[in-house]
Amino acid sequence: MERCMKQYEADRKLAVRTACELILASGVTSPRVGGVGECTIHILDDDADIEDLCQQMEKMAEVQKAWAFFRRDAAILRDADALLIATSLRCLNDPADINCNMCGKLTCEYLKQEPKLPADPDVAFRGPLCIFRANNLAYAIDGMMSQARNLGIDYGVYWSAGAAAMRTGILPKDTGFAIGVAVSVTEKSPFRDIPKRYAEINPRTMNDRMIQRLWPQFRSIYS
Amino acid sequence: MAVLQMTELIENGLERAVELMALAAHNSFRFGNRNTIRMIAVGKEELEQIAEFCFSLGDMSPLAARDGRNVLQLIKEPCSLLLIGDKRKSDFGFNCGACGYRTCAEMNAAEEVESLTARGPSCQFKNLNLNIAANAAAAMAHRLGLHCRVFSTLAFGALALNLIEDVDLCVSVSVSAAKVNPYFDRHMYWTKEHWDEIFNKEFPTYNRGFIGAVE
Repeated sequence: MERCMKQYEADRKLAVRTACELILASGVTSPRVGGVGECTIHILDDDADIEDLCQQMEKMAEVQKAWAFFRRDAAILRDADALLIATSLRCLNDPADINCNMCGKLTCEYLKQEPKLPADPDVAFRGPLCIFRANNLAYAIDGMMSQARNLGIDYGVYWSAGAAAMRTGILPKDTGFAIGVAVSVTEKSPFRDIPKRYAEINPRTMNDRMIQRLWPQFRSIYS
Repeated sequence: MAVLQMTELIENGLERAVELMALAAHNSFRFGNRNTIRMIAVGKEELEQIAEFCFSLGDMSPLAARDGRNVLQLIKEPCSLLLIGDKRKSDFGFNCGACGYRTCAEMNAAEEVESLTARGPSCQFKNLNLNIAANAAAAMAHRLGLHCRVFSTLAFGALALNLIEDVDLCVSVSVSAAKVNPYFDRHMYWTKEHWDEIFNKEFPTYNRGFIGAVE
């Protein structure tokens, strides 16, 4: 490869990191109900970290039929350059004390008394959560998406990544709810035009079949 | 070309702006590709109703009272309120557990709990979709240079007064074309004495010093 092409690849990686930092800034400064801070945003831009998460997502895809699409999401995340996980820290144990009834428990005291779902494999988030608090996450995510759009880079939002990140233990211990925003600085957005069976047929498996498997046979025979 | 006066320009601009905000909210990102939100924009008459309702909550909800009083000031200048609502039941089938039920079917079958503010239990992802729409509307207002703040209190009021129908959850985006930003730093409401009194009541230790150091 030409030297300038190597440089381009390095610069592209740098652009991803810079973009992630700016997206984090926008997510952090987006509004919070009552001005009470509770969301954290974590940047995962290391391929190995993202792969750990994808492995967890694939494990979760086995758990129940409703989560089968986690496998597809994992394949998409492997195409992404970086992943930001936004969390909500207060929705688990610190309800907003405004008795809004969105959780259906009438008052926050009742919600505090309600037992949480057990940490079973088929429970992604251990509700009931304080929905009013967790709504702050919507603002954080939209702040991040809005920044990604302004920067002109591709993004995708995946709750599967958030759920898996909670299981891998890379998030703060008080996390009640988490959502992943994947970003990509590439010419073709990996988050759009997802064909069927993408978990099986994607750039990596295509590379494995067409180049790593067929090409060595071809050169063995025709040399 | 005919001359348009400033008031007319501002009023018309605000109307267009609210339409654009609604458009941004309508086209915002959704989990599960489900665009089920409902939206209405209300003007000064309805805002006055909401404001009086919120203000009447008084001691029960100081936050609502604060916002109610603020709206009574707000409607003296061009303003509008975009109400965005959604149903509470899940149509996603994510079975994520955030609502406290293992599956969406269980949550949808659970007994509905009525209150003045919202009907629960509600799906977390419904709420996220709703609030992402609200944030998109607010972002559009920001880009258009409007004064803007998102209020749950006013939305709860609108829901209690049945201004927006066929929804269980509601959030509101208030915009204003006032001459100064009416939403933040509302110091004109406080006298120093009143403020000091409230502060000392809420944070008694702040002015007291370390307990071990005084008799």
